[in-house]
Amino acid sequence: MRMERWWFTAPLRLRSILRRRRVEKELDEELQFHLEQKIEEGIAAGLPPDEARYRALRAMGGLEQRKEEMRDMRRLHWLTDFLDDVRYAIRSLRRTPGLTAFVVITLALGIGMTATPFSMLDALIFRPYPVPDPGSVVTLVSTSHDNSFDSFSYREYLDIRDHTKSYDGVIANAQLQTVGFSAQPGATPLVRGGLLVSGNYFRVLAVAPQLGRGFRDDEDAVPGRDAVAVLAPDFWNREFGGDPSVVGRTIRLNGIGFTVIGVAPDTFPGMFIFSRPDFYMPLAMARVFSTNPQKKFFVDRDDRELTVRARLKPGATLRQARNDLAVLARDFEHEYPKTNRDRGAAVRTQFEMRTQDNDVNWKFGVIFTILALAVLLVACTNAAGLLLSRARTRTREIAVRLAMGAGRFRLIRQLLTESLVLSLLGGLGGIAVGYGGIEFMGTFTIPTELPVKIPFRMDTRVLLASLALSVLSALFCGLAPALQSTRADLVNGLKSADVDLPGRKRLWGRNALVVAQVAMSLMLLAASFLMFRGFQHSLLDGVGFAKDHLLMVRFDPRLLQYDEGQTSRFYKLLAERVRDTMGVESAGFTQNPPLGLDNLGRVAFVPDGFQMPRDRENFTSAMDTIDEGFFETMKVPIMRGRGFLASDTANTPRVAVVNEQFAKHYWPGADAVGKRIRLDSATGTPVEIVGVAQTIKYRDSFDKHTDFVYMPLSQHPVARMVLLLRSSGDPLQMVKPVKDVVRTLDPNMPMLETRTYEDLYRYAAVDGPRVAVELVGTLGAVGLLLAIAGLYGLVAYNVTRRTREIGIRMAIGAGPVDVLRLMMGKGLVLVGIGTAIGLAMGFAVEQLMNSMLFNAGGVDLTVYLIVVPSMVLVTMLAAYVPARRASRIAPTQALRYE
Amino acid sequence: MSKPNDLVQGTLDLLLLKILALEPLHGWAISLRLRSISGDVLQVSEGSLYPALHKLEQEGWIEAEWKQTENNRRAKFYSLTRLGRKELESETANWQRLSSAISHVVQLSEA
Repeated sequence: MRMERWWFTAPLRLRSILRRRRVEKELDEELQFHLEQKIEEGIAAGLPPDEARYRALRAMGGLEQRKEEMRDMRRLHWLTDFLDDVRYAIRSLRRTPGLTAFVVITLALGIGMTATPFSMLDALIFRPYPVPDPGSVVTLVSTSHDNSFDSFSYREYLDIRDHTKSYDGVIANAQLQTVGFSAQPGATPLVRGGLLVSGNYFRVLAVAPQLGRGFRDDEDAVPGRDAVAVLAPDFWNREFGGDPSVVGRTIRLNGIGFTVIGVAPDTFPGMFIFSRPDFYMPLAMARVFSTNPQKKFFVDRDDRELTVRARLKPGATLRQARNDLAVLARDFEHEYPKTNRDRGAAVRTQFEMRTQDNDVNWKFGVIFTILALAVLLVACTNAAGLLLSRARTRTREIAVRLAMGAGRFRLIRQLLTESLVLSLLGGLGGIAVGYGGIEFMGTFTIPTELPVKIPFRMDTRVLLASLALSVLSALFCGLAPALQSTRADLVNGLKSADVDLPGRKRLWGRNALVVAQVAMSLMLLAASFLMFRGFQHSLLDGVGFAKDHLLMVRFDPRLLQYDEGQTSRFYKLLAERVRDTMGVESAGFTQNPPLGLDNLGRVAFVPDGFQMPRDRENFTSAMDTIDEGFFETMKVPIMRGRGFLASDTANTPRVAVVNEQFAKHYWPGADAVGKRIRLDSATGTPVEIVGVAQTIKYRDSFDKHTDFVYMPLSQHPVARMVLLLRSSGDPLQMVKPVKDVVRTLDPNMPMLETRTYEDLYRYAAVDGPRVAVELVGTLGAVGLLLAIAGLYGLVAYNVTRRTREIGIRMAIGAGPVDVLRLMMGKGLVLVGIGTAIGLAMGFAVEQLMNSMLFNAGGVDLTVYLIVVPSMVLVTMLAAYVPARRASRIAPTQALRYE
Repeated sequence: MSKPNDLVQGTLDLLLLKILALEPLHGWAISLRLRSISGDVLQVSEGSLYPALHKLEQEGWIEAEWKQTENNRRAKFYSLTRLGRKELESETANWQRLSSAISHVVQLSEA
């Protein structure tokens, strides 16, 4: 049908849907009029009235058939049929409100439980970059032995930008970093997140600023020349109230004046999942911001701090891009063997970037989603079971319809419409449940300097997924009952209300459902228990250091444009004066407190005298920069040798402390103290190992035992440091004294992230995992509830169905116990099979969780010893209640039943 | 759907449009008109008349209005729409092309 005609035909179609009764009446009247005219004509021609009427009707060829034909002409019968079905479904569902409510609630729980983890998964993996044509944006990574997602250095970026052909543009950005921001000169700087980006960043991403302009390429050409900034939309609204005159104004970033040239659009919150930059600066201004002080950003080819992304040319394949980059990486290896030996490069899609192996978040998302789908499956099997028993009680109705000539396909369609109505209701409820779950996840705060956005939200994608799930579950729950009940044997169906066909085939479906439910919920329960135990284990293990009575304060003297000398003087004085303060037992500095949220630094080294394998230049290890007070303050025991001393200074030979794991790794069976490592390569700066510290947990509470190196602040200067302070009393009482000390040193120095260490610990080791356990536990509980309901339903249904048989048995001498056994026996067999399958699945999930999250191996028997018996007990109870009812039936009554 | 007998398929629509182009009529009058115009050459069963009218209405080519007949009965009068007039023109043109082509073929002398 052509478009223009829609104008005319749509209202007609609409009328025939909305004013159906009227249209039908008119049809009738029109035909009636014709008929009467025809009869009159016949009578006028001399026929007797009866004969005239008969002829008229014959000429029409049947009134009803004509009407049906005319309805067909509207080409809408499928729709009106559907609406009829919906109306019929609603009517018949209202006749059984209990059952309807139960199915709807079951499905709502199932769908809602899936919506929450799906929203996580969506945010963590699937949601595309907020730019036009996000599919063509790829990430280029440097690859080495230890890291297949490494960053590039500035020099490498320039080479890639200028020497690859597969891209429409190659962009780079540094890590999001804390920047001291002030709107006016002289105001105390606030900590905000700034992102260094290449000059072509906005152009290549095709993000047009809502105000002003983006960067020009030449603003990123000369280091230090163009101090310009683009504001992020949120920041602009928050900090400047959305004032358009901000463009052209000067703001201070780390004490330097930057001219605001534009504001990014609201549609572009940035390329990160969890955080949003507040403003963007050109890479050429990197010196003003935190880059690795050990390296020269614009010169050193191994100062790898940049995330490089590119937009594929239309028509360029991923494969071409990969080859292109691989060639370049080989050139690098040849030209710069010192920094690029054994280093490759790879092109990664957004999906690959987000499913990196070392990232726990998305793995949680995947595990949750799998478990939630299991719950949904339980819910669906349950709903299917209920619909099946409902369909059976309707056998007679369906048989009558079939006998009267209803098509089987038409009936199936009608039954499916019913389950569709049910599951859409369930889907709506599910969206409410899912919304609640997502809100719950959003309430949970993460203690960082820069605000973390919990990106899980109920957006259209999640909504659509939920609705798709409900339609799928409608098919899943509705199809089997619909097929089965329309196959009914007509003769038997018409004779009785509830026909029992010979053979066991019919019950097979229901039995399978119960087995599946028991198995699934056992698996879910086992999984939540395993998770709980895993987390508990990780907590019981302890972290290896003392976390109480600690105050932490972060400093970043670069916010005030301190140079290296001023910085080290500031820290030295701060440490001295804090240690002299009343109530302070000890104080120390660290770059990254253990279990902190920032990425740990890494150090590349070669153990002295160690024969390196031919294909590698050096090893790397996680590291931290600390001062001499750290070990005492955190109570990390030194196992051999010594910690750092005030006498380790920039002018004395370089020293390091390693952990036991490191010592065991490189000098098994020997004393690491006195050994030396060389930085970067076999000819690098020698560093003597002066002590071995106990291995603690560094990243999170399920940290595997990792190699670790400590460097002294005096020899390895770092600008951003955290002061850790052990107090004799409440650590928060120490905030004011510390503030006073800082004020005497520099009244403008901001104290960032001031909190007790236990706060950080609680988030990292307790709260996060607890939320995870609660979620999985809820899934398990809901699964169990559904399984109980399912089993109860099955046995109860069997009891009703076999009431007559029970009556006969009792009449010929069976006692209540026999009946009980008869009715429960079947249920128990099913529970047994379900338990066995569930156990197998539980083991599989345990394997999966161990490999993804915990380092514990083997099978946690305690979990199964708790879960399996309780499961069996509960399900037996579910079967017992209706079975007992059966055993109490009076035989006389039972025989008259039905 | 029962097809109009002895009527080239699709021509019923053309006939109806043509009849209605002259004046608005109700169904009964249309059936009388059909009979009288074409004599007994074109047999249109009364049964297929109404579905055909209904279809034309749904296509937006004709529109209907309930009015009084001469002898004061309520009846549904159909009339051509602007869209229907266009359709009639193009169908007529089509028909003329087709029929002249067929006449040509039929009149070929078998030499």
